Amino acid sequence: MSYKERSIWVSLVALVYIWFNYFGEINTLHLAQQLTVDAVNDLLFDVVILTIFLEIVLQIIIVIIDNKDANYNEDERDKLITLHGSRYAYGLLSVGVFLAVFYTVFPTLSSYVFPTIDLPNAYKVMHLIIIFALAAEIVKFSTQIYYYRRGF
Amino acid sequence: MAKMIINTIRRLRFDHDEMTQKALADAVGVSRQTIVAIEKGKYSPSLEVAFKIADVFTINIEQVFQYKIEDNS
Repeated sequence: MSYKERSIWVSLVALVYIWFNYFGEINTLHLAQQLTVDAVNDLLFDVVILTIFLEIVLQIIIVIIDNKDANYNEDERDKLITLHGSRYAYGLLSVGVFLAVFYTVFPTLSSYVFPTIDLPNAYKVMHLIIIFALAAEIVKFSTQIYYYRRGF
Repeated sequence: MAKMIINTIRRLRFDHDEMTQKALADAVGVSRQTIVAIEKGKYSPSLEVAFKIADVFTINIEQVFQYKIEDNS
């Protein structure tokens, strides 16, 4: 497994772990009827800190394991694989942005999006974008891993 | 039958004092994984990389890459 592929795996695992925890906490607070704007802000702050911390620590571990290739620059195949991943991610993210705009323009739809969550509309739109951005990142990393595994 | 790009990199490496994939990758400026992918026919390199590979072995590009029906025999 190349340094680049290992790095993508780490980013994917960190991303899934962090956001799985985030939405797990949101669900717990929601069930306990303690889901407030302040609680969401605190959780988002935790996500930012955890993302920075995990990415730095895990990337350092990869460098220690595979220090020969740590300074390796992307070659043309890496760039093509990245582009393919980004293309699929862009499609998914575009759908999310379109839905968020649609939701903002037609606020009456709020009863269909997160209907039981008692948060301001801006937070619901934000979470709609977060969910699609998260899905886009997962698709991007997964596509890259697929092409590195299968060959490109 | 469809034509495809095939290459003789593996044999050329062998003929050049069993040059390693890593050594070829370093000479061309790509990763070893990219050389592996090219050798297996899973990735068709850019013209620039193709010329660089030919240059490493000091031969013409058509001696490294051919566009023809693959002979599996």
